[in-house]
Amino acid sequence: MKKPNQQPALHKVIMVGSGGVGKSALTLQFMYDEFVEDYEPTKADSYRKKVVLDGEEVQIDILDTAGQEDYAAIRDNYFRSGEGFLCVFSITEDDSFQATQEFREQILRVKNDENIPFLLVGNKSDLGEKRKVPLSEATGRAAQWGVPYVETSAKTRANVDKVFYDLMREIRSRKMEDNKPGNSRGKDKSKRKKLKCVIL
Amino acid sequence: MGPPPIVTGVSPKEGPPGTRVTVRGEFLGKSPTDLCGLTICGCDCLLSAEWKSSNKIIARSGPGKGRGEIVVTTRSGGKGTSTVEFRGYHEMIGPMKESAVWVEEAPLRKMWWGRRGLTPTTYQHDDPLGISIEGVEQKFPEDGLHKLFPGGSGDLSSENFAAGWFLLERHHATPFDDLRAGLAFLRRKVDGQKEGQLSFIKSNVGSVMEQLDTLAQLKERFEEDVEKQGQDPTIRLEGAIKESMSEANKLFEEVLSRRERADATRSALAVLQRFRFLFGLPGAIEKNIKKGDYDAVINDYARVMNLFGNTDVPVFKKVLAEVESRIVQLRDLLHRRLEEAPTSLEAQKKLIRNLVNLEVGGDPAWDAISCHSRHLTATMMQCKDSHIAQEQSALEDGGKTPKSSKNKSTSVPNQNTDWQACVPARVLLTEELADAISERFPDFWKLGQAYFTGELQVTVAPSRPQDFKKLVLAAISLFSGLLRAALMPHTLVRTPAAERASYGVWHSKGMEGLGPWLPHCLRALRQAYSSLIRLDLPSEALDIVASLIFDLRLHCMSTLLKQAGESVRQLHTQETWNIQFDGEHGGITHLPAECERVIAEALQLAKDSVLLSEHRETPLLESEVVQRDLNNLIQNMLLGFVEVLDKLALGSDAMAGDSPGVSQMIGSPAIYRVHGSDSVIDKGRGKDKESGPAWEVRLLSVLSNIEYTRSVLLPRIADLFARYQLPAQVGPLASVNKALTELDQRVLDAYLEQRSDPLVGTIEPSMYIGNFNWDAALKPADVRPYVKELLTNLISVHAEVHSISPGLVWRVLPQLVETVAEELARLMVCLDKKFNVHGTEQACADIAAIREAVKVYSTPTAEAFFDEALEAVPRLSDAQGKRNVESVLNNFRSRMKLQLMCFRDPKAPTVKNISNSV
Repeated sequence: MKKPNQQPALHKVIMVGSGGVGKSALTLQFMYDEFVEDYEPTKADSYRKKVVLDGEEVQIDILDTAGQEDYAAIRDNYFRSGEGFLCVFSITEDDSFQATQEFREQILRVKNDENIPFLLVGNKSDLGEKRKVPLSEATGRAAQWGVPYVETSAKTRANVDKVFYDLMREIRSRKMEDNKPGNSRGKDKSKRKKLKCVIL
Repeated sequence: MGPPPIVTGVSPKEGPPGTRVTVRGEFLGKSPTDLCGLTICGCDCLLSAEWKSSNKIIARSGPGKGRGEIVVTTRSGGKGTSTVEFRGYHEMIGPMKESAVWVEEAPLRKMWWGRRGLTPTTYQHDDPLGISIEGVEQKFPEDGLHKLFPGGSGDLSSENFAAGWFLLERHHATPFDDLRAGLAFLRRKVDGQKEGQLSFIKSNVGSVMEQLDTLAQLKERFEEDVEKQGQDPTIRLEGAIKESMSEANKLFEEVLSRRERADATRSALAVLQRFRFLFGLPGAIEKNIKKGDYDAVINDYARVMNLFGNTDVPVFKKVLAEVESRIVQLRDLLHRRLEEAPTSLEAQKKLIRNLVNLEVGGDPAWDAISCHSRHLTATMMQCKDSHIAQEQSALEDGGKTPKSSKNKSTSVPNQNTDWQACVPARVLLTEELADAISERFPDFWKLGQAYFTGELQVTVAPSRPQDFKKLVLAAISLFSGLLRAALMPHTLVRTPAAERASYGVWHSKGMEGLGPWLPHCLRALRQAYSSLIRLDLPSEALDIVASLIFDLRLHCMSTLLKQAGESVRQLHTQETWNIQFDGEHGGITHLPAECERVIAEALQLAKDSVLLSEHRETPLLESEVVQRDLNNLIQNMLLGFVEVLDKLALGSDAMAGDSPGVSQMIGSPAIYRVHGSDSVIDKGRGKDKESGPAWEVRLLSVLSNIEYTRSVLLPRIADLFARYQLPAQVGPLASVNKALTELDQRVLDAYLEQRSDPLVGTIEPSMYIGNFNWDAALKPADVRPYVKELLTNLISVHAEVHSISPGLVWRVLPQLVETVAEELARLMVCLDKKFNVHGTEQACADIAAIREAVKVYSTPTAEAFFDEALEAVPRLSDAQGKRNVESVLNNFRSRMKLQLMCFRDPKAPTVKNISNSV
């Protein structure tokens, strides 16, 4: 693996949410400005590119995960490496909204961190006439979790950049916070220890 | 060189070999062929790569294991980098294992199992502990392993195999006891293998020894060979190979040289071919020109100009010059052909195209158009000149043409037999011009259209459309002018003299006899017009023809009606005086019917050809002038008939033709004499034999005809107008009616005068015949002879009138009776009462007898005269006298019974009276 010396800061973002809510669509729209009409279930896709965040060049690494339940077992592994999460549901499908609860819980369990950078994203805002999840309910849940709620449309690119940039800002501020007291190491270690515990 | 490719996305980011991987990024190549390399985890995947766009490639992952970069190489950007990695792993897929990824079994299995087959140990390595790993749900993240065992590997065959990695990778969820069991299993297996080796050798010691022997033998043989052949046995071989190589080269050289020669020959031939074409060209051009295959010539010319146009070789130049001269000739020829009209439209277009292709200067298409126009004009002028000359000669021949056409009567002949000879030249001219216009003009116009729509591949000069329009208008107005000059010179009075002259001057005499042909001319003109309309000409041009047609229709109509008027006026020559009777109207001659026929025929013709408007023609009757003209013409025509009647009745030759019909004293009716008795001829009237019946009879016939005309013919003509949808001709009919009434009165007066003069004149002489004296009269036994003669004369008039028209009797006899009564009164008054007794009785009886006889036709005036006559006679003094008168009257009634019957009222029951008398 190549490891350039002067690598810009890397922010690892993980897309979670039920199948078919538009995680890959959001990712592809953000990465390549394209909207993919065809639905093809994702297993686990990886994207990385340089972006300019508030004048600073950073790298964003997006892990686009599978929404289907078949992959629930391998999620934990993925979640561990994530630094921030976009929890996506479709405003036209209540089940996907209900599923966010489960994802949230799984992330908190894996990361063991209440303040992990996290955005609740209601996608498909262009299909307003088919809306099943009331705005109030979504904002209510976000407020309960203490996270921002944003509605996006991968089709029209509404708020697509916003959610990624907002999340990156949170990740950055979180890292700066961690670096100051220097407790990030401790955290890493605790993680390692935890893994060992599993083995033993 | 463009920017190097960069891979920024991979979907999915891990998978077993053969996973369908979508690679995304930037500058991944401009086209499928631009992509020249793709490795995933170090494995070349170009073969399976499918280039979608410069942002997307889809490929299948190779057998690489572990994390690895995705490197895209393009021709335009070189070798690229990637920001993402793909992890390949080998997955155990057994019958119990769930797999979310569809592993494409057919090709993959083969590869997989094949690989296993090749290295069977790998299989054992996969599960050295003998513990099934099926059902292991969670994978241990590889990143963690890398961190835990830096530089280590889970691969059993690897040098830096780390047992911890292996266990974590595969068995991190295996219970400890199972692991222990696995260890025991492994140990057993290792022991078994060790033990197995020893026993294997033991049991096969024989064959091992044999192998050793064989090896020794091999060594011996080899050493023998070294002795024989020397240390290096390959020297000879090398030599042989080199020799064969040079031999082969020799063989091949020959082939090569032959091929070279063949190539050289071929190229020489090609060059020859090319030059042969050039040198043969002048001849070929000539031949093709003769054949008329201009396209081939043009083709050849273009080809030669391409090949040798820029040549510097003097010989070529010479030949080219020759070719050029031929081409110039061809151009001239084509030009001439183009101006040589007439050719068909297609042929002309082709010629023009040829000329354009030959890069002739100028504007061949326009030349063709103007030439066409010139030719059209020339054709028309020529047509005119020849026909003027023809007519001239015909006129000089003694007016053969007009005469013959006159003989053709009023209808247009529609058969071609001996028709050409008698058709007036102007009609022929019209036909020919119409034909010329409808044949040539479309070609001319279409050529122009083709020219302006660019079909002829020429650029159109801006002034051309205007010029073309002028040409079109000129041609059309020439057409119209020529026809006007021929058919209606009067419509050209206001045109400028020079223009007028160009249309040709026809001899005014030629106009005669043209009338019946006008509808025919109109038809020809209309045909030409309709062909022009189909061409979608500008309305300006069409209007010229339309106005020509309008004028011609007008002219035609007036000619037709005038002609009808003429023939009506000619009718008096056809009078035969044959009286025909029909039940209602008494006797008439065939003249009114003849008149009706002429008028109906004229109207029919006018209706058919003139009044009906065809497509794009102004309705003729809308114009007021035309209506007025029509009225005048019709009135004229009808008045013509009145004139005819007038002429027949009171014309000078009619008077001269016969003398008064009632002769003095003889009293025989004129009608008997005329109808065939020899005495009439003897009396010197033989010369009038053929002129018909006596004047009085003619007068009566005319009277009857007038009556018939008024009551029957005029309503019928009005019906005709209605039937032909002509406006009701109230004015003309009324004026005709008036004229007829007037004429009727005049004719009646003439007749009465003619008849009453002799009648009255005979009374006095007859009264005093035989020196009769009223003073010395004897006792009367009968009425006097003069009374009888008077009555007989009256009867003859009655018979004459009745034989022609019973209706007229009532108009004629009362008048006569009045005159007779007046004369009688005059005579009696003249006697001044010089009657003796018997004279008185005689006079009373005479007057009473006359009065009684004509009672039916008597009028108040006549009665008054009779009374006056009785007054003049002395009164009868005694009864004896009255008796005498009565007996005379009785005598008169019985003797003159037959004569008296004539005066009965025809409406009274005559039959009864007759039967009574019988």
